[in-house]
Amino acid sequence: MISSREPSEAGPPERDKHSRRTVGSAWGLVNLTLTLALMLSLLLLGSKASDFRLPGNQQGYTPTQPIAFSHRLHGGELKIPCLYCHHHTSKSRYAGIPASQLCMNCHRFVQATLGAVRAEEKTAAEENRVPNRIVSTELQKIYDTLGLDSDLRPTREMKPIEWTRVHNLPDFVYFDHSSHYIVGIECTRCHGPVETMERVSQFETLSMSWCVNCHREYNGRVVGDRTLRPSIDCSVCHF
Amino acid sequence: MVRIEMKKDEGRRKSGLGSASLDEERLDRRDFLIRAGFTLGSSTVAACGFAPVEKAIPYLIEPEEVTPGEPLFFASSCSACPAGCGLLVKTIDGRPIKLEGNPEHPISGGALCSVGQASILHLYDSQRLRHPLRAGQPSSWTEIDREISDQLEALRGEKRRVCFLTGTVHSPTQRELINRFLSTFESSHWASYDTPSCSAIVEAYEQTHGIRLLPQYQFDKAEVIVGLNADFLGTWISPVEFARGYRTGRALEGSRLRFSYHAQYESRLTLTGAKADDRFCVTPDQFLPILTGLAARIVERSEKEISLPAPEASFDQLLDPVVEKLWGSRGRSLLVCGVQDVRCQVLANLINELLGAYRRSIDLRYPSFQRTGDEAGVAELTSLLHEQEVGALFLLGVNPAYDFPREAQLLDGLQKVPCLVSFAPYRDETSEFAHFVCPPPHFLESWGDSSPTARVLNLVQPTVQKLGETRTIIESLSRWLGETASDRELVEKHWREHIFSRQVGFRAFEDFWTKTLHDGLAPIRPERLQVRPFQFESIEFAAITPSQTSDTVSLELYPPTPATDASPSSNPWLLELPDPLTQTVWTNVLIIGIAHARSLGLETGDLVEVSPTGTGDSLEVPVLIQPGQHERVVALSYGYGSKNSSRFIGTGPQWLERGESTWKTAIGVNAAKLLKPGEFGLHSVVTPVEIKALGRRTEIPLVQKPESSFPERFRHTPEGRGILREMTLETLLSTRPIIETEHPEDLWPQDHRYPGHHWAMMIDLGACTGCSACVIACQAENNIPVVGPDESQRRRALHWIRIQRYFTDHDEGVDVAFQPMLCQHCDNAPCESVCPVLATVHSEEGLNQQVYNRCVGTRYCANNCPYKVRTFNWFEYSANDQLENLQLNPDVTVRSRGVMEKCSFCTQRIVGARIQAKREGREIEEGELQTACQQTCPSQAIIFGDRNDPESLVSKLRQSPRGYRLLEELNTKPSITYLAAVRNRESEGGEPDE
Repeated sequence: MISSREPSEAGPPERDKHSRRTVGSAWGLVNLTLTLALMLSLLLLGSKASDFRLPGNQQGYTPTQPIAFSHRLHGGELKIPCLYCHHHTSKSRYAGIPASQLCMNCHRFVQATLGAVRAEEKTAAEENRVPNRIVSTELQKIYDTLGLDSDLRPTREMKPIEWTRVHNLPDFVYFDHSSHYIVGIECTRCHGPVETMERVSQFETLSMSWCVNCHREYNGRVVGDRTLRPSIDCSVCHF
Repeated sequence: MVRIEMKKDEGRRKSGLGSASLDEERLDRRDFLIRAGFTLGSSTVAACGFAPVEKAIPYLIEPEEVTPGEPLFFASSCSACPAGCGLLVKTIDGRPIKLEGNPEHPISGGALCSVGQASILHLYDSQRLRHPLRAGQPSSWTEIDREISDQLEALRGEKRRVCFLTGTVHSPTQRELINRFLSTFESSHWASYDTPSCSAIVEAYEQTHGIRLLPQYQFDKAEVIVGLNADFLGTWISPVEFARGYRTGRALEGSRLRFSYHAQYESRLTLTGAKADDRFCVTPDQFLPILTGLAARIVERSEKEISLPAPEASFDQLLDPVVEKLWGSRGRSLLVCGVQDVRCQVLANLINELLGAYRRSIDLRYPSFQRTGDEAGVAELTSLLHEQEVGALFLLGVNPAYDFPREAQLLDGLQKVPCLVSFAPYRDETSEFAHFVCPPPHFLESWGDSSPTARVLNLVQPTVQKLGETRTIIESLSRWLGETASDRELVEKHWREHIFSRQVGFRAFEDFWTKTLHDGLAPIRPERLQVRPFQFESIEFAAITPSQTSDTVSLELYPPTPATDASPSSNPWLLELPDPLTQTVWTNVLIIGIAHARSLGLETGDLVEVSPTGTGDSLEVPVLIQPGQHERVVALSYGYGSKNSSRFIGTGPQWLERGESTWKTAIGVNAAKLLKPGEFGLHSVVTPVEIKALGRRTEIPLVQKPESSFPERFRHTPEGRGILREMTLETLLSTRPIIETEHPEDLWPQDHRYPGHHWAMMIDLGACTGCSACVIACQAENNIPVVGPDESQRRRALHWIRIQRYFTDHDEGVDVAFQPMLCQHCDNAPCESVCPVLATVHSEEGLNQQVYNRCVGTRYCANNCPYKVRTFNWFEYSANDQLENLQLNPDVTVRSRGVMEKCSFCTQRIVGARIQAKREGREIEEGELQTACQQTCPSQAIIFGDRNDPESLVSKLRQSPRGYRLLEELNTKPSITYLAAVRNRESEGGEPDE
């Protein structure tokens, strides 16, 4: 663009290289606006600096799930052990997401919150009738996956639940849950206080430096009856 | 930020950016760059959002035995060839991803050949038929069943026959169903043929022992082995089984030292000939005189009164040393003869009888069923076809339009059948004109059984849901018999009725069935055959007249080296697997001797027309000059040039497909059509043939440097560096040589310490037969893509392990030896020091790690590697076929374009073993961890283990007097120790032969 500029008589007057200073108040106004805008955006960015993250870092990712399953209720309030549902943790690389069948161990009987059931009983008593069966809308979604109606009779085709994965590692990383679990690393060490989370959120960065630092930190540490020697070789995770 | 952008936009609008009026605009270049930079930067940061959303879909009802991400093994049996090896099928998350040999199987003993390893790819082949065809068009089973049943109904009570033409069928259930099916018709006929055929052997046993059988050869029990045109380590009958036996008889390590003597007479260079201690290169018409000479000498020593034709004196030199050894260890010797001539086979039986081989190394009581072809029946079928006596013909496991010679006129006959049904899994040459094609499922998705020998009864079980609307042959036959049983019910019913009575140790059928299903192998009492002793009286040996040897040129046709039959290779892994002897890929070539080529003025790559004299057939093939080839014999492999393999011509990077391919020839030529129909099966030797130079050339895709003009004398190349070392048994035993190598001093102390494990490998060159099973096992395990003929020709094939072939001169001929070459995992690795991004680094356990996600593709490492074992992804080779990608091992990263890769010592298996040991609260045990190449090796040439454990086999073998490291003088300190090859022959001059 600039090279196409030819000094000619018909063309615009030759400009002094330092003509900026001479232009006067109009330019000053633009400059002022720009500077203000810049400061404003920097302020805005600055206020969100804590949210700044490197590409691929999904710390704090809290996607909505097809079923509003509460880890706070199950893990925190009811104190169900993590491995009751995620029982592959001890023997596989994957912790595993429980099959609908496993939910039914309890939810065959527990079909709504205690509050809802009590309320229905109360209303029924007031109206002098037999209380209706109350099925929570969220639990009905589980029954739906198994093709069951609210009376737990098979009526439809089964359809699996599509959960949204919260903790994603790149494909070139191999992570094994069992080897961490076996040596006594707490689930919360990586997953954070899941028992307080209504909806699960990624607690840590899951970045490579985070992994390696922990491996370094645990070197020589005694957990239970084992002295841990976590390796920091590349081929521990990348192959 | 938004304000700034607006400002800028306004500015642009005012100025009409780019015009000469820029000067009036107060936005100069510097400002523009500042603002644009800020905008770009901020938008980039803003775009650093979340990665794509991934779904996780759990089971609804979880199968008890399945743990997601963990392998689950099913015992089954390989059906890729009739050898019938036992399998363990590794499935992860419900899909089979790798085949391993079943360690408890008597035939394969944990090993598997390259064809077996590659057969998993057929399961995920998108070209495999997934629905039946009627007149070449997709159809439904209901329609097919109705039409076939109608046609069959019309044939019932009629004179016209219902016939079967099959390959070797040794599945008891299948045999029973075919027989039952055929028995419902007035007249029927079942013919079968094999390419290559063994019917001369079967016929000879009828003459000498009064029973038609194929014996079971027990190489492990033989101390002297003489082979005549039988490539038992490469392509003959059951190579895995034979190689295992052969290896057992050649154990230099361990408590008991045994080392058999092996002499081989052959016309073309084979893997077996390459292993032999003494190899004699003869023409095909000399086999009979040689056998007569051998027989005469043995008869003379045995003092039996048998009159034989007078031996020819000219073979003294070839025979005398061998006879001495054979007779010297009679009772422990074995002669195997693969010549397709009954006279030869009868003489071979006589020699074996006089040597006492039937007492030890050849088992007639429990014969083999690995070749049941009976070509006399095919001739009968052909005449029936021409007389239009055949009402319906079923083709099973054969493709006569491809591999049956036109001369035999079977093909013309096939076209006259009113109802031709093919059970081909692909649209092949024959199913092209079949009325109905009823594709069977892959053996990994169906029920079945097999009985390769009288001792072994395998069960085949599905490991995955069927990937299409295919139906097993037994199920189809039962449907046409008016039954509705499934394949499982049919197999179970047959076993309940016919096999359960032979079981050992079970009361209830269910227990027996469960046990068999678990083991893949039925615990049965084998049926012992009553065989009459050798009938000396009934044969007039003197009447055997050796045919005149002539000076004409013969053509020998042979199966593509890793395979045992002519079934066309439509498997890209096998097509890209270098032939261990010729080192060619993707094509077949006419192999020609050095002097022969010189006399014809041919060079490697010259195109010739080869035609059997007197027939109209001819083929245009490039020649390849090879030592060890008889000067009056040319050799050509069949199994190429089929309809199914032509689709791979375009395999390779996309940009090459669009442009002109440098690879101008198709995927080889079909040589099977040159096979000669004979009295006992198809003859693989055609005499005489004419070779006419065409004056044109082509590039042959070779993976090892083409030696177009071989020198008169060979040394191991590269010259004299002791890459491949050999010694004689005498040297090894007498002087206990320690291979001397220069050990340079380290300039600084060793900086790698190995506090835990220190992984190392040992490769026994004495055991390696060059069969290349390891190459395919590695390819399956490590997600190695196929690069295609074009890229192979540029030597960009990605195999992590390759079999290098070396020639050395010995007397008149050459010695051939093979060396598996893979990453040496050097302790002082030259590749590591040159990587600018630390993508290849050393691990605490002695592994040379390659980190794909760090690699930027400078290729410095490959340039600095003295072993040339690193391969580079020049293109994105993977992900071409969505279905094929289901085979990928989920434990190994799929590499993308621009990334260097190499052998990782199967680090995923090391990690797996470590985690398993951790789960069980123990250390990794010796022998628990096997690399993929080691696991599949039929001759146990590869051993992997921990060098830090003084008790491990690897530690012990590192001290072996045969042990040496490659290019040790470079101070790379490789983790792989090679054990020098040993030949059982006398030393030349007493020096260890390097």
